[in-house]
Amino acid sequence: MTETTTNTKGANSNLSHRFDPFDKLRAGKLTIEWLFNPFRFIAGVKTLLIGLTIILISAFVGSLSNTHFDGVLDLHTGAAAPMWFFLVEGLIDWICLAVPLFLFGLIVSRSAFRTIDVLGTQALARWPYLIAALAMLPNANQRVLAYLMSKLIQTAPAAAINPADVLVFGSAMIVVLLMTIWMVALMYRAYAVSCNIKGARAVATFIVGLIAAEAISKFAMFLLVRAFLVSP
Amino acid sequence: MKVLPTTCPSCSSQLNVKSLVCERCQTEIQGQYELPLLSRLSLDDQGFIIEFIKASGSLKEMAHLLGLSYPTVRNRLDEIIEHIKPAEKSKKDGKEKKL
Repeated sequence: MTETTTNTKGANSNLSHRFDPFDKLRAGKLTIEWLFNPFRFIAGVKTLLIGLTIILISAFVGSLSNTHFDGVLDLHTGAAAPMWFFLVEGLIDWICLAVPLFLFGLIVSRSAFRTIDVLGTQALARWPYLIAALAMLPNANQRVLAYLMSKLIQTAPAAAINPADVLVFGSAMIVVLLMTIWMVALMYRAYAVSCNIKGARAVATFIVGLIAAEAISKFAMFLLVRAFLVSP
Repeated sequence: MKVLPTTCPSCSSQLNVKSLVCERCQTEIQGQYELPLLSRLSLDDQGFIIEFIKASGSLKEMAHLLGLSYPTVRNRLDEIIEHIKPAEKSKKDGKEKKL
């Protein structure tokens, strides 16, 4: 009995030295967690600034190949437009998802959370689309898309394509698909961490939020295109 | 180093303290004493609380020191609050029963 008491006392007095409660959390840094859940380590103003910079760079890269981010989960090659148009598209995509998820967080989360974390993490979650925009840069993509379009509307092909073009285009499509999946995973993690929502509630509200965001962003894009066409 | 057990290994109920002893004169006190609320938490939770106090209760400071994001640290605190609530409730219920 005495021995047990003595040992227990020793264990308690050395608690903070012997035991590190953050071992498990720190261990995450050594894994691929930085890739799929960077929000464990970074949030707030820092993520907002990095995220907005990435949205800006993505818009610039997208403008080089007329790659439009015309919806929260959309990436399409389209008509030429000024740089600001691509930037506004990126900002619409970001805000159209961040706001519904913020509102869901207010309703569902039992924790108090910061608006800046929701906005910042959702901005940073879009970074895989920068890689997707880079993958769309080669002219081969435009040639294949023009060829496919001419086949679709049954007109003479605008330009000839070769097997290398098809290979580049196929690779780009795979990259875009993988980046979209990665981005959705990041968006979910951003939502779960910043609003402290877990399990089925997190998944369900995220899916509803994403669908709503896609619809809202499409409507916003329609208004943007209309305003752009009407403007002198 | 042995860790203070807080739950029964047989039925998972909360353990109480039955005996206390003075290391110097070996005086032993027998009785039924409830473990303090903080002692009932896991070592992970206790460690977090100690670090939290050392950081003057600033989650921002803790996040900075640990290299973790603010929401990660805040979510951990919320988890501990969720652990404390039932322990507090059972303590209250126990007191009411005694009365």
